[in-house]
Amino acid sequence: MKWETLVQYKWGMMTPEFIILGVATILSLIDLFMPRGKDRRLLAWFAFVGVAIAFVSVIGLLPAKTASILYDTFRLDAFAKAFKLLLLAGAALVLLLALDYKPKEGIKYRGEFYYLFLTALLGAMMMTSSGDLITLFVGLELLSVSSYILAGLRKTYRLSNESAMKYVINGGISTAMTLFGMSYVFGLTGSTNLKKIAVQLSTLTDGGQQYLLALAFLILFVGLSFKLASVPFHMWAPDVYQGAPTPVTAFLSVVSKTAGFVIVLRLFITIFAAAPSHGKDPSSMLLSMQDYIAFLAGATMIIGNTIALKQRNVKRLFAYSSIAHAGYVLVGFAAMSWVMVDSIWFYFVAYLLMNLGAFAILQVISDQSGSEDISHFAGLYKRNPFMAMTMGIFLLSLAGIPGTAGFIGKVNIFLGAFMTEPAHYVLAAIMIATTVVSYVYYFGLFTQIFFRATAEHEPIKLPLGVTIVVIVCAVGTILFGIIPSLAYNFLDQFQHFGDFLQ
Amino acid sequence: MMENAWLIPLFPLFSFLILLLVGKRMKETSAYVGIIMTFLSFIGAVAVLLERLDAPTYKAEQVWFTIGSIKITAGFEVNALNALMLVVVSLVSFLVHIYSKGYMHGDDRFSVFYAYLGLFTFAMLGLVMSPNLLQTYVFWELVGLGSFLLIGFYFYKEEAKAAAKKAFIMTRIGDVGLLIGMILLFWQAGSFEYDHIFAAVKAGNVSQTMITLSAILIFIGAVGKSGQFPLHTWLPDAMEGPTPVSALIHAATMVAAGVYLVAALFPLYEASETAMLTVAIVGGFTAIFAASIGLVQTDIKRVLAYSTVSQLGYMMLALGSGGYVAGIFHLTTHAFFKALLFLAAGSVIHAVQTQDIEKMGGLWRKMPLTAPLFLIGTLAISGVPLLSGFFSKDEILVAAWTHGHSVLFWIAVLAAFFTAFYMFRLFFLVFSGEGRHEAKEVHESPAVMTFPMIVLSVLAIFSGYINTPWFGTFLGDWLTDEGFAHEEAPSWIMVVATVVSLLGILLAWLMYGRRSLARDWLSSRAPLTYNVLFNKYYIDEFYAMTFGYVTKFISVLCKYIDRFVVEGIAVAIAAITKAIGAFGARLQNGQVQMYGAVTLIGLTILVVILAFTGGYL
Repeated sequence: MKWETLVQYKWGMMTPEFIILGVATILSLIDLFMPRGKDRRLLAWFAFVGVAIAFVSVIGLLPAKTASILYDTFRLDAFAKAFKLLLLAGAALVLLLALDYKPKEGIKYRGEFYYLFLTALLGAMMMTSSGDLITLFVGLELLSVSSYILAGLRKTYRLSNESAMKYVINGGISTAMTLFGMSYVFGLTGSTNLKKIAVQLSTLTDGGQQYLLALAFLILFVGLSFKLASVPFHMWAPDVYQGAPTPVTAFLSVVSKTAGFVIVLRLFITIFAAAPSHGKDPSSMLLSMQDYIAFLAGATMIIGNTIALKQRNVKRLFAYSSIAHAGYVLVGFAAMSWVMVDSIWFYFVAYLLMNLGAFAILQVISDQSGSEDISHFAGLYKRNPFMAMTMGIFLLSLAGIPGTAGFIGKVNIFLGAFMTEPAHYVLAAIMIATTVVSYVYYFGLFTQIFFRATAEHEPIKLPLGVTIVVIVCAVGTILFGIIPSLAYNFLDQFQHFGDFLQ
Repeated sequence: MMENAWLIPLFPLFSFLILLLVGKRMKETSAYVGIIMTFLSFIGAVAVLLERLDAPTYKAEQVWFTIGSIKITAGFEVNALNALMLVVVSLVSFLVHIYSKGYMHGDDRFSVFYAYLGLFTFAMLGLVMSPNLLQTYVFWELVGLGSFLLIGFYFYKEEAKAAAKKAFIMTRIGDVGLLIGMILLFWQAGSFEYDHIFAAVKAGNVSQTMITLSAILIFIGAVGKSGQFPLHTWLPDAMEGPTPVSALIHAATMVAAGVYLVAALFPLYEASETAMLTVAIVGGFTAIFAASIGLVQTDIKRVLAYSTVSQLGYMMLALGSGGYVAGIFHLTTHAFFKALLFLAAGSVIHAVQTQDIEKMGGLWRKMPLTAPLFLIGTLAISGVPLLSGFFSKDEILVAAWTHGHSVLFWIAVLAAFFTAFYMFRLFFLVFSGEGRHEAKEVHESPAVMTFPMIVLSVLAIFSGYINTPWFGTFLGDWLTDEGFAHEEAPSWIMVVATVVSLLGILLAWLMYGRRSLARDWLSSRAPLTYNVLFNKYYIDEFYAMTFGYVTKFISVLCKYIDRFVVEGIAVAIAAITKAIGAFGARLQNGQVQMYGAVTLIGLTILVVILAFTGGYL
């Protein structure tokens, strides 16, 4: 590649990524040369400001036309913009949580703690924009490797070590599968560029090759379901969530999961939508394989919600709850209605707000009590009414009670499941039935907070960062629940992500 | 006022928010916030009602959000039914707010109680003015949430906590039906709005099977909320909540929401005979089923709870028999007399500190206000002529008869007999005879509690006159717009209804009232002992032979069906869910090998399915 071609590229469209990269680099340098005993919480604010600037720069890029650089490996389209905003917002809130994270033995490597979030975020952002299997994979690994380290940052805490270990091993299996699936795709088309692959595959007529492609579809999907924490690759989640530092758990359950769906949508829609197949819809492999995704979505909702019933540890409970939510989002994907991406995006907005809010409260309580047992939520209403009320809002939203963003998100996905011909009655029924099951554990927690006498009486103080997160999340949850058109008017400019395949 | 009707639900919401923020500091003055706000709502509701009397329906709405090309709207609608419901709900809520000031006096969480009441009232008022199904659903759930919070108000009691959870989950099972039915309708008619749905149904754009299916699914939601068989078990348990809550939520307003929903969607139901018949049969069965259980209960609130279930069944029976006006009419009168009964029961409980009617008795003289007020409520619900319950019940019987459901008609008559009997059994056990209670001094309740009861008792007597065969059918004419003709029914129906209700009262008197009278008599005139004993024996025998065996059998049977079959199914579902959970949790043994293996097995299963069904090999 010549220097002249490099210079000609519109590097401006990568501004957000450059900002994050720059901030992460500077942070690691500052951390290196900073005296040992110095308080490193200032670094978190620095990282937060960096993410905020990147967020603003994405907003600045909103009017930019869809384009790609570096031989189509980096795309800036509506999909990339919309999801980058989500990832950045999620990461910013997680950084605020990390700012006030105080495990009982303290965190020795706070510097790493902050900039590893940024590198993970960078990986996720690359995934939203990549138009090539290679960049997609590199982004995925950047996210994964950073997360592995983050999970184990409480070095002297046994559960944290266990968490990191399990995460690495399962991540390894996932990577192997994903790469294996990709190799089939590459073998069938001879290209790593998503667009070229799509063109090549649209002329695939040989039955045997189609079979190979269908196999690749399944292998890729199972491999990537690791990031979604959906069936059959969901079992790592409770163990890893439990042991990881709480802000990291929040990051995994929100930002990393969103990134997982980003790669799934990007990959499967681009590659498989127009590939012919032998299945029920000969013109599209994606539609032919719909039932498999629907099956996994159903299993994910059932398993997530039923096992959650038995959990006493709140972090594990939220791990299963996050598995269940992945199932709901998969319903949106499996239905493949034309509002699929809109509804998934909205769901993640809602999920980000309610889940991060819940984790913020959870973090304060488990930091103070040194345990994550559900009983520490007992009588929260007496100890700190503000926390109790906001946690109540998050729980209601997670359960999908009207008046909250979670309800609108569920309705959208639900309507989407009925929008297609034929409608997905069974899937919708499973979704509702498992939602009812989820009431049991969400309201179990709710009862603890409001209806239980407390054992501990000392009032709980909310640190600044957490307070901001809680307020933002609570206001957002209610606001998008009552006036969802705020988000939808914003989405209008993307015109249902019509430029996805251009 | 009609265009500003949206203000009505906002007052209680405002009360909720204020009390949430500063309630702790306001302590018992919180009550005034709640009372004033609900009073404003009530004034607004009356103004709206008066205006709607001779004005057309008013409807205002805006786009709420759009998904793709589908516009989801939100707004409010004031039609006759909604205007009536607004008044009923805001009035009962206002009275309960006043009453609670006395009843909840001294409770630690006094302001929280009022905050919850405000939230509930807001949701209920919002529910009855929703112009579309989605909005209805939103408020429907909020109402359920309010009910959950209030049932569990005494959270330190294990039963209350369990009851709150049970109520929430049981009604949620019904809501699943509602939601699916709603969405089905949406895809058939292209809109959530009532008007559009009715237009589509009328124009024949929705197939007959779809109408029936969605109507029945929505009815399942109503069954859950209105405590109809087989989703009724939560309602008696919900009596663990404070008594004013039972009066407001579990007698007058929320439980009537199911009836309201069926009434609001009446044109849909009318389009399907099967759906109508289902509603009528479920309603009729619930009416007799719950009434027979009511015969053997000994907890004052539980008797009233089963009576509520039974009366709601009556309303459903009316709607299912095409008696739109009859159903709504009974809903209105029932709201008043049942709220009265609950508040009076609360007053009694407040005085004697027990709910067991075996431990009451002899309160007639000790509670000179509560007792006659309770009697008025009892007379009204028993269908004694000239009181409100008489007219509305008669309307229902006429509807059942003229629509040819003769079996259901006779069931309703029998249920009326049961109702009169168990209500007066309750009355005599509580108020007549000797005091069997342990409370030393029994006081009449303070004025703040008796005043709402007096207002309600006036309504329990006179609210029937808005729709009578003698003085004109104002309510019917107004509700149906096109002039409602009270169906010319054989006049013997009214006679039968009267006779049956009086028979029930007579029997109750003979068994529970007279017996105590005889005891007094015995102490003064010893020579007549034999006679009296015989008489007593005779009554018992009479009861045992004709009435006792049969009803006791039915009632015990129903109780067992209730306990083992209905609860059994619920338990079975819960057990299956738990079993899946337990199995999944066992797989989760902490070993990474297992996790990887599960993933690979999952993949293998998918690949095998693909190999066999994909059509590639």
